[in-house]
Amino acid sequence: METRKNNSFHNTAAKYRYLLLFTLPALLFYVVFAVYPLFATFFISVFQTEGGERSFIGLDNYVYLFTDPTQSGQFWHALLNNLEFFAIHLIVQIPVALLMAALITSDAVRRLTGFYRTILFIPATLSVVIVGFIWRMIISPLWGIVGFPLLGTEATALPTLSFMSIWEWIGIPMIFLYTALIAIPKDILEAARVDGASGMRTFWGIKFPLITPQFGLITILTFIWTMNGFDIIYSLMGGAPGPNYSTDILGTFFFRSFFGYNNIIGDADFGAAVATVIFLFILICTAGYFVVLQRRLRPHEL
Amino acid sequence: MKSRIAPLALALATAMIALAGCSGAGSGDQVTLQFESWRPEDAAIWNSKIIPAFEKEHPDIKVQFSPTKATEYDAALKTRFQGGTAGDLITCRSGALNRENIKAGYLEPLKGLAGLSNFDELSQSFWASSEGDPYCVPVASVMAAFFYNKDIFKELNLQVPTTQAEFMSVLQAIKSNGKYVPLALGATPGDAWVLAFMGLYNEGPNYWHGEDGRQGLIDGTKKFTDPEFVEALDSLKSWTPYMPDGRASVTYSDATQLFALGKAAIFPSGSWDITAVTGTSGIDVGVFAPPLPQAGDQLYIQSHPDMGIGINAASKHKKQAQVFLDWVATSEFQTLYANALPGFFGMGKDAVKLDNPLAQAWSDLKTGAQLTPRLGQDILSGGNPDFEVTMENSLQLMMTTDKTAAEVADETQKGLEAWYPPQMK
Amino acid sequence: MTQTSISRRRSAPANGATRPSPHPRRHLPPSAFLIHGVLMVFVVIALGPIFMIVMNSLKTQQGIFGGPFDLPNAETFSFDGYFRVFQLGDFGNLYFNSATVTIVTTVLTVGLATIAAFAIVEYKIRLAPVLSAFFIIGIMLPVRLGTVSLLQMMSSWNLVNTTLALILVYTGMSLPLGVALMVTYFRSIPQELKDAARIDGAGEFQTLGVVTPMVRPGLGAVAALTMLPIWNDLWFPLILAPGRSTQTVTLGVQQFMGQYDSDWPALLAALTLGAIPLILLFLVFSKQFIKGLSEGYGK
Repeated sequence: METRKNNSFHNTAAKYRYLLLFTLPALLFYVVFAVYPLFATFFISVFQTEGGERSFIGLDNYVYLFTDPTQSGQFWHALLNNLEFFAIHLIVQIPVALLMAALITSDAVRRLTGFYRTILFIPATLSVVIVGFIWRMIISPLWGIVGFPLLGTEATALPTLSFMSIWEWIGIPMIFLYTALIAIPKDILEAARVDGASGMRTFWGIKFPLITPQFGLITILTFIWTMNGFDIIYSLMGGAPGPNYSTDILGTFFFRSFFGYNNIIGDADFGAAVATVIFLFILICTAGYFVVLQRRLRPHEL
Repeated sequence: MKSRIAPLALALATAMIALAGCSGAGSGDQVTLQFESWRPEDAAIWNSKIIPAFEKEHPDIKVQFSPTKATEYDAALKTRFQGGTAGDLITCRSGALNRENIKAGYLEPLKGLAGLSNFDELSQSFWASSEGDPYCVPVASVMAAFFYNKDIFKELNLQVPTTQAEFMSVLQAIKSNGKYVPLALGATPGDAWVLAFMGLYNEGPNYWHGEDGRQGLIDGTKKFTDPEFVEALDSLKSWTPYMPDGRASVTYSDATQLFALGKAAIFPSGSWDITAVTGTSGIDVGVFAPPLPQAGDQLYIQSHPDMGIGINAASKHKKQAQVFLDWVATSEFQTLYANALPGFFGMGKDAVKLDNPLAQAWSDLKTGAQLTPRLGQDILSGGNPDFEVTMENSLQLMMTTDKTAAEVADETQKGLEAWYPPQMK
Repeated sequence: MTQTSISRRRSAPANGATRPSPHPRRHLPPSAFLIHGVLMVFVVIALGPIFMIVMNSLKTQQGIFGGPFDLPNAETFSFDGYFRVFQLGDFGNLYFNSATVTIVTTVLTVGLATIAAFAIVEYKIRLAPVLSAFFIIGIMLPVRLGTVSLLQMMSSWNLVNTTLALILVYTGMSLPLGVALMVTYFRSIPQELKDAARIDGAGEFQTLGVVTPMVRPGLGAVAALTMLPIWNDLWFPLILAPGRSTQTVTLGVQQFMGQYDSDWPALLAALTLGAIPLILLFLVFSKQFIKGLSEGYGK
């Protein structure tokens, strides 16, 4: 400790200087091209536009969102659907991704690790246009292998879309957990082997506890991504996604409000209010998660 | 590794800024008009036939057709208007969406444009402001009716139906035969508009007597729960046994393929599909009008103002854009257009000769029929909840579950009563 | 490092005899069989649908709808879809645009995120966690919302219809996740390593140079996560760079799909052509980045 004292970087002013120097380029891009435009838009949610004239209306757009029977009904409905969309990802995508990551890092596959890792990631490189197209064809009652109209039935439409999304994106949590698993120092695992622990026991007893922070992180990222989800549903079901709005999620609700859809005329001011509410919801949930859970998922000191 | 890539990236970025600067410089006299459209499917025709014809007459004006897919068009166009990057020429939807753009000041008023005299007042009114001023030149209207496969009809010895009863017995005969799908129509939620445009607005006007029913809804003297509308919905529901298996997931594209490949006998659709159904496997296709409730009834046909062209109010080349619009108003353009895109009918006063026999057959359906635009577009749209979106949602359920016509009528009417003054209680 | 010797020993079992075998061989075959079996099922699920698209793009329209799951045969095989797409589209240009945008953005994001994350982890002063939180909030922002302001900004800078506009916007949007991820990777580096570098007299930039190879897994992950949504994004190309000369592959393919609504061979050909480059790009990246990460940890 003492030896480092005279090093220049321990001087607080120098630290500030370096911190700013190193973060400035990233901050510049981020603030100018993401934060500023978004907040400029949040700002318009307290206005209304009538024939090109913009006037301040305070929180009226928010009041309207929560009191108008059509809008508030659709908003809560979309929120619930979105939570279901997330829940399916949570229950299916993350465990399967963990299984994939565990299997490809197991000793049995050493040589083929790269092969499996690459192949299983490929669907994530496809655009939503192609994913929607393939799966709609495969499950088409006319040409495909499923006679039942999965996408056209209220009970099955959202789960079906969730599975398409899971199929496409599973590579991401897999790579995430994979990089965490291979980062575990080998001497720890070696010790377990010497103790004769089985593969299963090594995994749940040693490996998994070591990657819980990454596991928590990918869970919350999945939450954020699914709550901002939009593409696959819009491309297959349109902007007022049926049947009977059973696949309407926050992203499609926002899009419809902001840009309009079909004959629904978009209202940028109201749409901005919708987006602000969605953003705050995600922010609060995420912050809550970090405060309550992630702090406890500290990695064991390596 | 990073340190080697960073300068490279910087160099690339610098090079691109330089490139961007170069491309910005325009040439002196020649003006290029950017032309916004929602029909990328027409790109080849505009680029190879129509625009060259214009540029030949007006060598100092270039037109660049830049389409956006129909599903993204309105959102993208609105964003471009707000960002000041919309093209000079704007393809206009008819009715409420266009009025919204007019109200926001995005479109240039066309009052006094010479070419407009080639169109009657009704045609112009679909793209007019609430005050009745013209903002777009009418370009095309489309119709709805029923394509049928002539060979299948011959094979099964069927006659073209004219009444609802005949229509049902034809469908039943095809179903009993079992070889073909009687009706190529899907009811997947993503394409619910199909059930309105090609279903209800196709066969329905015969029940609500076209403009009679439509204007009645608009001025509040009729309700969507009135018997003529419920009957129309009921008649649509009677189609369900003849639709393809798994109809709740069958898309518009699936239905088109089913018919174009000769696997289905009848395709309720619009004139815009002429190329799609005849293009792929060369089946022999005919068309018949929506069946009448009773023999001898007046026939009503959906003829919808689909497309107009206007000028961006912020365009830097309004003069040249007006030259283009005047040309679009000529019968030269209309003949060129209607023949290049069979099924899109010109709206000018002068009749246009159609080379495509099937397009001509469609056009012939109008003889003796009364025409009416799509029920839910224009005035009834644009509120919250939107008439058409509410109805399509209910229609999709009616065609795939046991929801009844009366329930659909009820839900749609309630939506209308929530915002549309003449219908408010 | 020591681990390299372990892997060598494992691939040459004869040497292993001098020490107690770390993993009894006889346990391997049945479980290995099962593991490969499960993974092969995943592989089939991942590749099957993609294979279907490619296969059907080589068939005639009748061939596709006659039996979408059949391999092309003499009667149904056709290359026409590709011919039609190539006739109309300048795919070379589309690829160039997409590649430029994707690669430049990825490099910028990975580079800037690494430097920023290093600083946030390294300089433990009060400002650091604030900056960190500021970036994390960015992950949650609904990016489409700022479209209109962005378009106005780009328009006033004369950058509409340039690939640079896309690069700037994408970089701004990818950085929050990039920084947040890199922070977690830098945190896992033992402090002693950095201190050791400093004691050796390394400056801050050199220290960064020393520790960067240790966060290679992070670089790979950030690169992959940045690349995918950008290549496949439809919205911003549509708004910021819809012009023919600056169109990206995804937007171009979307336009083809509109144009070939009922010509499925052409449509599938366009989809295939749009998808293949990123798969190839990923294969290359996978080797360079993600494979490199195992070396970083001395596996």
